[in-house]
Amino acid sequence: MTITNAPALAPALTAARKPPRFALARRTVITPVLLSLVILAIAVLTVMTGSKPFNQAMIDVFLRVTLVVGLYIFIGNSGVLSFGHIGFTCLGAYAAAWLTINPMMKKASLPGLPGWLLEARLPYWQSAALAALFAGLVALVFGRVLMRLSGIAASIATFAVLAMINTVYSNWQDVTGATSSVVGIPIVRTLWPYAIVAVIAIFVAWAHAISRSGLALRAARDEPTAAAASGIDIPRERLVAFTISGAVMGLGGALMAHSIGVVTPDTFYLGLTFITLSMLVVGGMSSLSGAVLGVVILSALIQVLRWLEAGVAFGATTFALPKGLQEIALGVIMIVILANRPAGLIGNREITLFRRNRNK
Amino acid sequence: MGQLSAENISVAFAGLKALSSVSLDIRPGQISGLIGPNGAGKTTLVNVLTGFQAPTEGSVTLDGASLGRLKPHQLRRRGIARTFQGGRLFRDLPVIDNLEVTGVGLGMSRRAAVAEAEGMLDWMGIAPLAERLAGTLPYTDERRVAIGRALMGRPAYILLDEPAAGMSAPEAADLSALVHRIAKTLGTGVLIIEHNVGLVLGLCDHIVVLDSGAVIEEGAPAAIRQSEKVRHAYMGTAADMAPTGGEVRA
Repeated sequence: MTITNAPALAPALTAARKPPRFALARRTVITPVLLSLVILAIAVLTVMTGSKPFNQAMIDVFLRVTLVVGLYIFIGNSGVLSFGHIGFTCLGAYAAAWLTINPMMKKASLPGLPGWLLEARLPYWQSAALAALFAGLVALVFGRVLMRLSGIAASIATFAVLAMINTVYSNWQDVTGATSSVVGIPIVRTLWPYAIVAVIAIFVAWAHAISRSGLALRAARDEPTAAAASGIDIPRERLVAFTISGAVMGLGGALMAHSIGVVTPDTFYLGLTFITLSMLVVGGMSSLSGAVLGVVILSALIQVLRWLEAGVAFGATTFALPKGLQEIALGVIMIVILANRPAGLIGNREITLFRRNRNK
Repeated sequence: MGQLSAENISVAFAGLKALSSVSLDIRPGQISGLIGPNGAGKTTLVNVLTGFQAPTEGSVTLDGASLGRLKPHQLRRRGIARTFQGGRLFRDLPVIDNLEVTGVGLGMSRRAAVAEAEGMLDWMGIAPLAERLAGTLPYTDERRVAIGRALMGRPAYILLDEPAAGMSAPEAADLSALVHRIAKTLGTGVLIIEHNVGLVLGLCDHIVVLDSGAVIEEGAPAAIRQSEKVRHAYMGTAADMAPTGGEVRA
């Protein structure tokens, strides 16, 4: 290629026309729309079955979609593995508990709460919004320090955040009930709020991904030196994603509290961290579609393994897997998937109706 | 007249001096060359000028004011751009997005960044590459895209780290013409590090020669061509310093 035919210098070196407004959004919105349709289709089918256990299982699936998409917003775009995000889920769950439990019960079990919080009794959707805000603010505070770190140092520091939050919530008797269960959280049994929150999380993740900050962060993930030389303030872009993902994790935590009506600090610790990270990695860390489909696929596997552990009757005999085999089988399946597809089932692609989803 | 200056820069790595009191000026619209054998400290100096390496001693000034310890992204926003040996493109992104990222990093909206990226690719004559994935580009095009990316936002200065490495003579001649246009048409101050001494001699207004971390010679190309010190540093002959693809003003 030669440059001899290059046109003379344009006054500002800028193309005569900018792309139409919202062109990027219009080109890429099909991905969150398709993923949301998957969620809504599962919800409709669940409601049609009328099965209460299946309804509860699907509520768990939608909660995990919310949490894993929350993880994707930070981990997927920044490439920094975070072990601390379930800490923000814990913050969201307890915030929802503080805001929705009957004041009389709170005065008895959580007497250390400030007066205005003791008296508060909000509808679940308001408490969920405030819980998301609270978790996002805490993520912003932690993130200002953590986002200056990179690689394994950043990952270990996020794990320290999880341990700190767990330790505080496991010991602050008057405010969190320490290791005792906090009960009396209004239970929301209908499926739709969970489906809607999962859809909100998907659209938030998409909006961040197509934003300036999302593009800059992905560039920094792939080539940090060149990104810095391109004017990108990497810690700042990481902080934006960390805060948004912290808020989504908090939102998921609030809904988790309302799904079971009880919270304990250990619900939001290593077990949930492991399972949500596994779902993200198996689906494809760098893809929103991977995050959602990873949850759906692994949740289906977990459900099948649970049924097998509980026992399946074949005529007069009942076939049952030994207790604990669920975790082992899940681990083996994950290793097999990752050995064959190291970038996850979806890789870094997105589901779309078109061949290429440029400029995500 | 404004200029970007390295003033008495020294850099030591664990006691080993990579640069010893090196000074160098880059002026708008001029092409400066930085040459020297492998290990002379050329890339270290570019790293200091762009904030990737803190100097042990000395300072970098822009229009006479010290830049202190600004970070690379802050220096880029002040108009000091660079390329890297090996391109360092965002390989999973299309070419147009590679340029757009820099526009976004400089504070443009994505629409404005795309518009400028398209204009830049047009100006460089590589518009047909816009939708190609950067990771699939041949070597020569990769270098051009890296230069285009660095030119986003019209920086006042651009530092090119071995842009012609591995290029054939005709490709190097095209590159020379491009660098000449960048300086003379856009008014950008250019610093070019190159092992192709002939290209540098044919292209640059001013040349600084480094050896073992110190400046051993500087001046106009004609003076550098005659310098015994430079010949000695390269342990070569006059043939090594013959113009190769750099005769843009012949």
